[in-house]
Amino acid sequence: MHAINILLAQINPYVGDLKKNIEKHLKFIKTAAEAGAQFVIFPELSLTGYFLKDSIYDIGVNLNSEEASVFEPLYKASLNSGISVIAGFVEKDENYNFYNSSFCISKGKIINVHRKVYLPTYGMFEELRYFKPGGGFNIFDMAGVKASILTCEDAWHLSSSYIAVNKGAEIIVVNSASPARGITEGLDKFSSINMWEELLSVIAFYYRSYVIYVNRVGFEDGIGFSGGSCIFGPTGEMDARIDYLEEGYLKVEINLDLLNNERFKTPLIRDENLNLTLKELEGIINSK
Amino acid sequence: MKKDLPKIDEHNFPIIFKHLTYFIKDEVLKTGINKVVLGLSGGIDSAAACYLASAALGKDNVAALLMPYKSSAKSSLGDAMKAVKALGISYYIIDITKQIDDYFQAEKDGARVNDIKVRMGNKMSRERMSILYDYSYKLKSLVLGTSNKSELLLGYGTIYGDMASALNPIGDIYKTQIYQLAALLGIPNSIMTKPPSADLWLGQSDESELGFTYEAADSIMYLLIDKMYKPEVVVSLGYNAGIVNAVYSRIKKSQYKRRMPLIAKVSERTINIDFRYLRDWS
Repeated sequence: MHAINILLAQINPYVGDLKKNIEKHLKFIKTAAEAGAQFVIFPELSLTGYFLKDSIYDIGVNLNSEEASVFEPLYKASLNSGISVIAGFVEKDENYNFYNSSFCISKGKIINVHRKVYLPTYGMFEELRYFKPGGGFNIFDMAGVKASILTCEDAWHLSSSYIAVNKGAEIIVVNSASPARGITEGLDKFSSINMWEELLSVIAFYYRSYVIYVNRVGFEDGIGFSGGSCIFGPTGEMDARIDYLEEGYLKVEINLDLLNNERFKTPLIRDENLNLTLKELEGIINSK
Repeated sequence: MKKDLPKIDEHNFPIIFKHLTYFIKDEVLKTGINKVVLGLSGGIDSAAACYLASAALGKDNVAALLMPYKSSAKSSLGDAMKAVKALGISYYIIDITKQIDDYFQAEKDGARVNDIKVRMGNKMSRERMSILYDYSYKLKSLVLGTSNKSELLLGYGTIYGDMASALNPIGDIYKTQIYQLAALLGIPNSIMTKPPSADLWLGQSDESELGFTYEAADSIMYLLIDKMYKPEVVVSLGYNAGIVNAVYSRIKKSQYKRRMPLIAKVSERTINIDFRYLRDWS
């Protein structure tokens, strides 16, 4: 059996306090080690908090500078424990552009950085005011399984998961800071949660992939994040979920044998016509 | 085709309750304070806020101030006490008659009766706010707001009076939904069944002052605000044009009550204009 174990860490980050959040991450890395997981995944901007506004200027870290040493405890923890870590932070480049980024640290090194591509700037969101969009979706290795990170709004654009899966992703990691909102009669969760779970199920089912959703909890200026981190298997069904609204963790198993079985029975990815898509996209772009 | 304001029912209540109590706990505790104080009027809004606070922080960390004026309905104090007793929280009764009457003794001459009524209502509201903020310091507690979404949007409140607070768990919940929430919170029946009133003078009624019922206004505001439909679209959906326009006009005219004072921009970085941080920043 080809399987990996992953710990979903549904945390309430301290807004704007990198040091305290690193301590919190270390605690959950320890939990992951005790639980026998190989990976631990934290939510979007887990090391900084979400509605940072002007404090983004203070909390951004350039990974190619001395500043990156602030993450040293995380590198060490991953090296010593053997646990790989996906966490969110504010990245700063040499030109002082800021990104809503997530890194994957494995054996003491950063093996992948995803810069959020789709930055919501409507309603309560103002990410484009501060962040520069990322340029694509990488595939990286999670203990022998190919994975790609979609950060929150990225997942709302179905083209993101289309790209990730066609690049070879077997696991789609959706790290998120999704605010709870919307009351629906007869429904035991917020409308926003329901909409997320439907979306994740669709991605898992139609792309025959594992989808791991890690959403944060806690409040920032009255806005509460809904949690409910969960895993959807390639059948589109939710395998397990953490409670809504409160901190918690959950160990889940990714079983590549089951994924391959589903992909054989319903070979949607095999049959995908990329040339047709490309031709149509070129047509669309040229007509605009 | 009518689109209705969603009800708070037995299905969605558990998560709304969890959300609102976590809001109180999270936003209060992160300030380094662990208690709240609130004005308990005997009405449904402050009772709902009080029940939520008690559930969130524990009964020992919630204090209620009962601040009657001589013309306040006698049932108000009794109803407020029912909530106090049911929750087992601490309470203080502070009669505000003397300071209000002393002030208006000198002001009444020559003023029109109706003006005086409104001014006295506002003064009472701000007197209560002033006492709440004094007790905030005295009891090392944050002031919990008790205004609902309907009155905040309609501007049916006193700026720097009952609209003032440190945090408000029910400000995004319409009055119609407050009744549904209150029923599920188990708030005493006598609080639930009386007509909505600011109780600033004898026989005052929210709905007769506003000229429409909360139920009518709430279903319209849900479409105007939550759904962001234009007033003419709301009318086209079958709602009474007179009420739609009256509600929309009240919302626009009272916008100033929901914002911080305007600051003349002079410098390169101005508070709340381009000096932008969360209140939770620290």
